[in-house]
Amino acid sequence: MTTSGKDNKRDKEAVKAVSKTARPVRGIFIIIGGLVFLGIAFMVSISLGAADIDLQTVWTALTGFDPAVSQHQIIWELRFPRIIGAALVGAAFSIAGALMQGMTRNPLADSGLLGLNAGAIFMLAISFAFFPGLPYVYVVLMSFAGAALGAVIVYGIGSLSRNGLTPIRLVLAGAAVTALLTALSQGIALYFNVGQDIAFWYAGGVSSTRWSHLAVITPVLLLMVIASLAISRSITILSLGEEVAVGLGERTMRTKLISGVIIVVLAGLAVSVVGAVSFVGLIVPHLTRKLVGYDYRWIIPVSAIVGAMLVVVADLLARTLNAPYEIPIGALISLVGVPFFLYLARKGGKEI
Amino acid sequence: MNAIDIKDVKVGYTKRTVIDELSVTIPENKITTIIGPNGCGKSTLIKTIARILKAEEGAIYLDGTSIQKMDTREIAKQMAILPQSADSPAGLSVFELVSYGRFPYRRRMGSMTAEDYEYINWAIEVTGLQSFRDRPISEMSGGQRQRVWIAMSLAQGTEILVLDEPTTYLDLAHQLDVLMLLDKLNKLEKRTIVMVLHDLNHASRFSDYMIAMREGEIITDGPPEEVMTKDNLRDIFNIEADLTDCPYSGNPVYLSYHLSGSDDHLPSRNDDREVM
Amino acid sequence: MKLDHLQPDSVIKKRKRAAWIIAVLFILIVISFIISLNTGYIRLSPFEVISTVTGFGTDQQELILFQFRLPRIVIAILAGMGLAVSGAILQGIVRNPLADPGIIGINAGAGLAVMLFISFFSSDLGSSVFALPFFALLGGGTAAVVIYLFSYKKDEGVSPIRLILVGVAVAAGINALMIVLTLRLDPESYEFLATWQAGSIWGSNWSFVQALLPWLIILIPFALMKSSVLDVLNLGDHTAVSLGTDLEKERRILLAVAVGLAASSVCVSGGIGFVGLIAPHITRQLIGSAHKYVIPISALIGALLVLGADTIGRILLQPSEIPAGVVVAVIGAPYFLYLLAKLND
Repeated sequence: MTTSGKDNKRDKEAVKAVSKTARPVRGIFIIIGGLVFLGIAFMVSISLGAADIDLQTVWTALTGFDPAVSQHQIIWELRFPRIIGAALVGAAFSIAGALMQGMTRNPLADSGLLGLNAGAIFMLAISFAFFPGLPYVYVVLMSFAGAALGAVIVYGIGSLSRNGLTPIRLVLAGAAVTALLTALSQGIALYFNVGQDIAFWYAGGVSSTRWSHLAVITPVLLLMVIASLAISRSITILSLGEEVAVGLGERTMRTKLISGVIIVVLAGLAVSVVGAVSFVGLIVPHLTRKLVGYDYRWIIPVSAIVGAMLVVVADLLARTLNAPYEIPIGALISLVGVPFFLYLARKGGKEI
Repeated sequence: MNAIDIKDVKVGYTKRTVIDELSVTIPENKITTIIGPNGCGKSTLIKTIARILKAEEGAIYLDGTSIQKMDTREIAKQMAILPQSADSPAGLSVFELVSYGRFPYRRRMGSMTAEDYEYINWAIEVTGLQSFRDRPISEMSGGQRQRVWIAMSLAQGTEILVLDEPTTYLDLAHQLDVLMLLDKLNKLEKRTIVMVLHDLNHASRFSDYMIAMREGEIITDGPPEEVMTKDNLRDIFNIEADLTDCPYSGNPVYLSYHLSGSDDHLPSRNDDREVM
Repeated sequence: MKLDHLQPDSVIKKRKRAAWIIAVLFILIVISFIISLNTGYIRLSPFEVISTVTGFGTDQQELILFQFRLPRIVIAILAGMGLAVSGAILQGIVRNPLADPGIIGINAGAGLAVMLFISFFSSDLGSSVFALPFFALLGGGTAAVVIYLFSYKKDEGVSPIRLILVGVAVAAGINALMIVLTLRLDPESYEFLATWQAGSIWGSNWSFVQALLPWLIILIPFALMKSSVLDVLNLGDHTAVSLGTDLEKERRILLAVAVGLAASSVCVSGGIGFVGLIAPHITRQLIGSAHKYVIPISALIGALLVLGADTIGRILLQPSEIPAGVVVAVIGAPYFLYLLAKLND
């Protein structure tokens, strides 16, 4: 069988070509630069807010916390966890988006557009309506379950379709699943009078993040980051196409299953903190690919950093643009996200 | 008499001009075929004739009138066009689709007249689709479907029929079937037929007149025996062709060919097998 | 002049079939109408309904029937018609059976305008109700123009697929904007708007019927008049041009009609999605894709669907109500997903 041998060689060359486009130096530079930027953004973000606190106080609060100083209290109990929450959420959405885009080879994949976020909200609505006062760990678990629900429906449609999931199909399936789950959440919200609680999740915001929440989500997130890095090479190969991946001896089913679990957990986790924020998972991986190429070993960590930067800055703007009111962060990101999506839809007119 | 006059036409897309200052005439009551390599502008030219693309400069004259100045329905009464990729929506029967050919004649609310129905029934008959007229198009083969589309164009009752690669995606027998139908229409009904064909032998065999293009320009035009020459084919397609006469039409056709200026064709067969 | 002898049996059969379908749908609507009249917080027996309708009921019964239930039923029927025909037109224009005024953002645009209107004039509309459809139209129209412009490319015109993708994005953007606005509202207006957004037939009085009716009376027959254009558009852009349609012009006119129908319906019925998707699709399964049948039959199926959903929403969790939009979405979204899985592009 000289045929497959030749194909194999061609495939290997394709993989090599992809690796060549990777730009490790740039990747490392962006990761370090991004971390520095995040550090600065943290400080600025902590000092700005409903009550401005000067940077020196911020520094002393971080180095020598004094519970008697009310500003230290604000910093430690409100602002610090919220900013860390924002960074974690940004990283989670971005990695989930990168994995989805790589796995489905679909430039329009995003947890918000594909119904995962709506699923998570739906389960949150159920937990508010039926189990008010549920401990936070369980709320997060419900959120995972919801994201999984949305993912299973959309992916199920894909596996049932004769021609597989084309980008347009994926977007439409996501829109329909979102409409369905949103309608159900609305029904529950209206019936059980938990509308305002739910509305908060729709709008999206990290203001209510507390240390106790972070204690739950941080370990899970770290685990998922490690897991996604572990499968990143397989994702790169999968992103070349199913057939190429199989030809290279990749166990595609296993890769898809693992990355599916990671995606669901990341999306559920992020939604449980911030609510239904769309477009982060769409924009960030695209930017990242422009910056570091098509190798997912670089795309995943860089996406995490860029995503964290995006959401931290968005949160800062959400708090300061119209102080003392807060602009919902989901809406703010949509302001960037919708034009970006339009750009992709126009640019990709031929392939889509 | 000329059916269509193309004068100094310039057409293109935002970033690229495909055809510039092109002039050619298409004779009446004849079958005219446009040939040329991929990207030579033949489809662009036929789309411009079909007013799907607009000429930036110059004009296309239909019976002496510029089509830019004519009402689009009036054009549709004189010239029917069969695009390359026609979608057939689900759930339409042959009769229904053919009846859409009467669209240019319909008034706002008006239902169809006896004349409309006569045209439709005639078009179905002449294309040999009588026994299929209640059949959904989705259940028909590619060749039959092409017949239905031709029937729809015929129901338009026009003197001129323009077809963009009518034989693409069809197998050998169906290709011939479609071309013979067009030939019959031309001979019996005196329809002017203009089309783009990829197959040079088909083009030569069925045409009265050929237009050969390359890189947006017309290399030569005339009857098949003038266009289908060794020199012209080298100019147009960069091939060395071994020509002979078609036993059916007497027009020149090629037996085989190889690329100009290359000797690749000589020891090829065994090498190929190994690569495959 | 019947000209039957010139047409094949299949065409004549289809015409008869269409007549039958229309008759059956009509009867079903009448039945739902009667059931709906009997349904509600205060139960009225069929006998009481009949005696009230014929003028022998108590004042309370008359009030319930004529001032609360009847207008609500009529609005459900009308809004269902408007949304269904709007969907049928959109699907014709974009040649994709998955188009729906809800999915491509027209409903969202209309909703945003209505929301702004309500936050300025409060929920007590009074006589300004007639201005409401105009506002909705402005919103839906703006959304449609944005969608159209963004999906237009100079060389290719409007690609149907790009139109849908852009529509989904615009819908997402408008929804985000609406969320910002809802958070600013006082709890009372919020509750009101939330109910409206969920697609509750809230305009339970005759002035809403009067506000909606003229739009439908003009636009549905106009759409019917354009049915042969829609048929031809269905054959693909190039064929449509070759048959003598002014493609972009017809597309714009039809888009405007679809927007008008969707916007005027949405402003009284709230965010009911999927009707514009399901009704035309069921119709095509029943009768094929000739628009002279698709438009009237979709209208009736749409009416039946919304009336049915509204009635079910009232019966299911008595005494509280499920908005019709939620009921339709629960039926409609799975149906949409089923279509998505089944269709070949």
